[in-house]
Amino acid sequence: MAELIRLENISKSYGDNKVLDELELTVEENEFVTLLGPSGCGKTTTLRIIGGFEMPDEGRVYFDGKDITDLPPNMRPLNTVFQNYALFPHMSVSENIAFGLKVSGKSDQYIKDKIKYALKLVNLKGFEDRRINQLSGGQQQRIAMARAIVNEPRVLLLDEPLGALDLKLRQEMQYELVRLKKELGITFIFVTHDQEEALTMSDKVVVMNNGYIQQEGTPEQIYNEPENAFVADFIGDSNIIPGKMIADKLVEVKGVQFPCIDGTDNGFKPGQRVDVVIRPEDVEIRPYGEGLFNGTITSKLFIGVHYEMLVKMEEGKFEWLLQNYDEHEVGSKIGMYVRPENIQIMHKPQNDYEKRMSLEL
Amino acid sequence: MKKTISVIYIAIIMLFLYLPIMALVVLSFNDAKSMAVFTGFSLRWYQELFQSRMLMYAVVNTFSIAIISSLIATIIGTLAVLGLSSMKKKNQDLILAANNIPMLNADIVTGISLMLCFIILHIPLGYCTILFAHITFSIPYVVLSVRPRLNRTTDRLFEAALDLGASRGYAFRKVVLPELKPGIVSGFLLAFTMSVDDFIITYFNRGAGINTISTVIYSQVKVGIRPSLFALSTIIFVIAFVALVVVNRNSDRKGVAFNL
Amino acid sequence: MANKKWASPFIIWIIAGTVIPILSIIYYGFTTRDGGFTFRNITAIFEHDHIQALGLSLGLAIASTLVCLILAIPMAMILKGSKFGKEGFMIFVFILPMWMNFLLRTMAWQVLLERAGVINSILGIFGLPPQELMNTPGAIILGMVYDFLPFMILPIYNTVSKIDDHLIEAAYDLGANKFTVYMRVILPLTVPGIVSGITMVFIPALTTFVISNMLGGGKVNLIGNIIEQEFTVNSNWYLGSGLSLVMMIFIIASMLLLNKFDKTGGQSLI
Repeated sequence: MAELIRLENISKSYGDNKVLDELELTVEENEFVTLLGPSGCGKTTTLRIIGGFEMPDEGRVYFDGKDITDLPPNMRPLNTVFQNYALFPHMSVSENIAFGLKVSGKSDQYIKDKIKYALKLVNLKGFEDRRINQLSGGQQQRIAMARAIVNEPRVLLLDEPLGALDLKLRQEMQYELVRLKKELGITFIFVTHDQEEALTMSDKVVVMNNGYIQQEGTPEQIYNEPENAFVADFIGDSNIIPGKMIADKLVEVKGVQFPCIDGTDNGFKPGQRVDVVIRPEDVEIRPYGEGLFNGTITSKLFIGVHYEMLVKMEEGKFEWLLQNYDEHEVGSKIGMYVRPENIQIMHKPQNDYEKRMSLEL
Repeated sequence: MKKTISVIYIAIIMLFLYLPIMALVVLSFNDAKSMAVFTGFSLRWYQELFQSRMLMYAVVNTFSIAIISSLIATIIGTLAVLGLSSMKKKNQDLILAANNIPMLNADIVTGISLMLCFIILHIPLGYCTILFAHITFSIPYVVLSVRPRLNRTTDRLFEAALDLGASRGYAFRKVVLPELKPGIVSGFLLAFTMSVDDFIITYFNRGAGINTISTVIYSQVKVGIRPSLFALSTIIFVIAFVALVVVNRNSDRKGVAFNL
Repeated sequence: MANKKWASPFIIWIIAGTVIPILSIIYYGFTTRDGGFTFRNITAIFEHDHIQALGLSLGLAIASTLVCLILAIPMAMILKGSKFGKEGFMIFVFILPMWMNFLLRTMAWQVLLERAGVINSILGIFGLPPQELMNTPGAIILGMVYDFLPFMILPIYNTVSKIDDHLIEAAYDLGANKFTVYMRVILPLTVPGIVSGITMVFIPALTTFVISNMLGGGKVNLIGNIIEQEFTVNSNWYLGSGLSLVMMIFIIASMLLLNKFDKTGGQSLI
C-alpha cells in the first residue's frame, strides 16, 4: 500500500507544556489507523495538525508526497468528524450535508443526489428536512459523518466521534464505521482513548503517551506483544511483574521459574532484569500443587462473559488477576500454569528517555 | 496586514469614544471659562463644584437613589426568580413576558405613564416617586441576570445538600445562594448603572425640588454650561474607572462581570 | 426549592409599576380636558408638524442604528479574535463610557461641536473657518451613535463569543473560505445579538428629546421633543399621552417585526 500521509519530526507546545516531541508517523492508503492513548497524550493534537487546525512548532506534514504543512484546512483533501459533531444549528440536515458541496460549486442536482446517497449510506433516509436539535446523539453523529464523506475526501479524520454515545449504540457505530470504510475505500484516521474500540476497528493501532508513540502495530501485535510496560498496562488487563532471566528461555518471577519463548535470540541475556507480562486469560487453573505456582482466591467478580478473580500468590508477594470461564469459590486454594508462548518479556526502561516513555512500575 | 487594520480600527473607535471625555477632562482644569482656548491650569471649577449646594445635593441624590433602588430591586428580583421557579411553566412565561415590558418600553413612555399614575393617585412627586420609578425599571434587569443561574444544576446541588442532612434553610443559604451570587451581583451592578444613568424617567417623576446629576445638567443646557460640570465629569470618570478596575479584579479571568 | 409566594412582591410591583401606569396613560390618551372620550389625541399624530417630527425621528433613528451596526459588527469580530487578556481589557474600554452619565457624554459632544467649541478652535489653529456643526441632523446622529454604540457592541459581542469554535473549524474543514464562513456560519448565528443591539439602540434613538435639545439647539424637533413639550410647555397632558401611546404601538410593531428574525426568543438581551 502506498504511503499517503507522513508526519516528520512534529513538535508542538502549549506554553510550557510540550504536547508532541519529534513525532514521526506514517499512514498508508486505505488504512484504518487509530491513535490510542489516555487524555493529554497528544493524539487529538496530532489529528488537528493533520487536519490543519493547529500548526506544529517544528516538523512537516506530507500528503501524497507534497508538503501541506502551510496549507489551511479548507485547502486540504481531508475532512473531519468533530467530537461534538459541530453540526450547524441554524441549518437543516440537508443544508449541513450540502455545505461542502455548495462551497465547491457543485450543481443543485448533483448535490441533491449526493445528499440522498449519503443519508442512505448512514441509514438515515428521509432526514433531509429535519432540524439539528430534533436529532438524537446517534443521529447527529451519523449526519456529521455524512457531511464529511459526501465531499469524497481521500482521508477521513475522526476525533473521538463515539464518545457521547451509550454502549450499545457505540458498538453498533463501530461496525458501521468499518463497513463505511470498506464501502468508501478511503483512509480513516481515528482518535480514541478506548482501547477496545481501537482493537475492534483498526488495521493499525498507534499507542501514544506523553507526546510519544509508545508502539505501532496491528491490534494483535499490540495486544499480544506489548513492547513496554505502558502499552501492556493500557491495553487490556495484565499481570505485569518484575523478573530476571535465569537462562535462555527461562525467567524467574517471584521465586518461580517459568519456561518462556524469549531469550538470548531476541536480546534477553541470562541474569538480565526484565518486566514480565501475562494476560489474565492466559493463567490456567490446575488443582492445587499441580501447576507452576499456587495461590488462594481472594475475590471473584462475574463479568458476564467470564469470571474475574484475584489470587494471592503463595510463593511470593503478588496478587494475580485471572479471567476464567469456570466458577471457583473464594478462599479455595488453586494451582496455576502459564504456557511458555503466553509469557511476554519486556526490557526494563534503561535510561531517562525510556523511563519517560513508560509507566513506572 | 489584517492585524494592523484591526488595530487601527480599534484605535479609531477608541478615539471616537474617549475624545469627548478627554476634552471635558482637559477643560475642567482650564483657567478660563472658554471651551476654545486653554489659558492656564486651574482648580477653580472643582472649587465651584464642591461649593455648589445644588450640585452636591444632586450628586448625593443620584447615588443614594441608585444604591437604595438597586438594593431593593435586587432583593425583589432575586425573590421573584426563586418564586418563579416553583410556578407552572405557563405562569412563568406570562410573568416573564410582563417583566420584559419596562425594558422594551421607551423611557419617555415609562416616565410619563408613571407620572400620570402618581398624579391620578394624588401622590406628590419627589424623592420617593423617583425611587419607586427606578426600582420599577431595575427589577427586570435583575431578573434577567439571576434567572440563568437557577438551572437544573442548582436543583441537583440543593437536593444533594438535603440528602446530606441539611435543612432547607441551610441548604438554601450555603448551596443555592452562592450559585446565584454572580447573577445577583451583576444584576445589582446593572441596576445601579441604569439608575445613575437615568434621565428621562427621573425628569418626569421628580417634582420641583429634587435634582439628580442628569436633571441638573439638563437644566443648565439652556442657560449655558458652567465648567463646574466638567469638573464633575472628570470626577465621575475617575470613579467609574476605579470602580471598573475593582470589579474586573474581583471577577473571573474570563471577564464574567462584563456579560452585562 | 422555593415558595412561589416569594414572587409576590415582584408581581405586585409589576401591577403597580407597569400595569397601572399604562392604564393611566391610556386614560389620559383617550380623554379631553373636560373629561370626555376622544380619539383626537391619537389621530393628532397625523397633523403636519407631528408627522414631520415622526418622519425625522424615524430617519435619524434608522440612520444611527445602521451606523452603530456597521461599526459594532467588525468590532465584535475583532474582539472575539483577540487573546484572552486583551479581551478583558477591550470590554473594559467599551463599558467605561457607559458608566459615565448619559447626559455628560452628550454634553461632551456639545462642547466639541459648538461654535465656540473645541473642534472649531482646533480648526481655527489651522486657519480654517468655524463650522456650523451643531443644530444639524448630522450632529444628532453623531450624538446618538456616541451614546448608544456600546449598547450595540455588547450584545453582539456576547453572542459572537458564544459561537462554538468547532463550528467555524468545521466550515473551514468543508472547504469554505473566510468570506463564506462569515456569511454562512458566523453571521446567521450572530443574529440574536444583532436583534438585541438594534432593540437597545433604535427605541431610545426614536424617542429621545435630550439629544435633539442639547445638540439640536431647539431647531430640530423630534417626536420626543413634541411629546415633552406637550407636558412641560403646553400642559396638554392629554395630547402628550395620546402621542406617547402612538409611539408605544409603533415600537411594539417594530419589535414584533424585528423578532421575526430572531428565532431564539430574545433571550440574548443579557
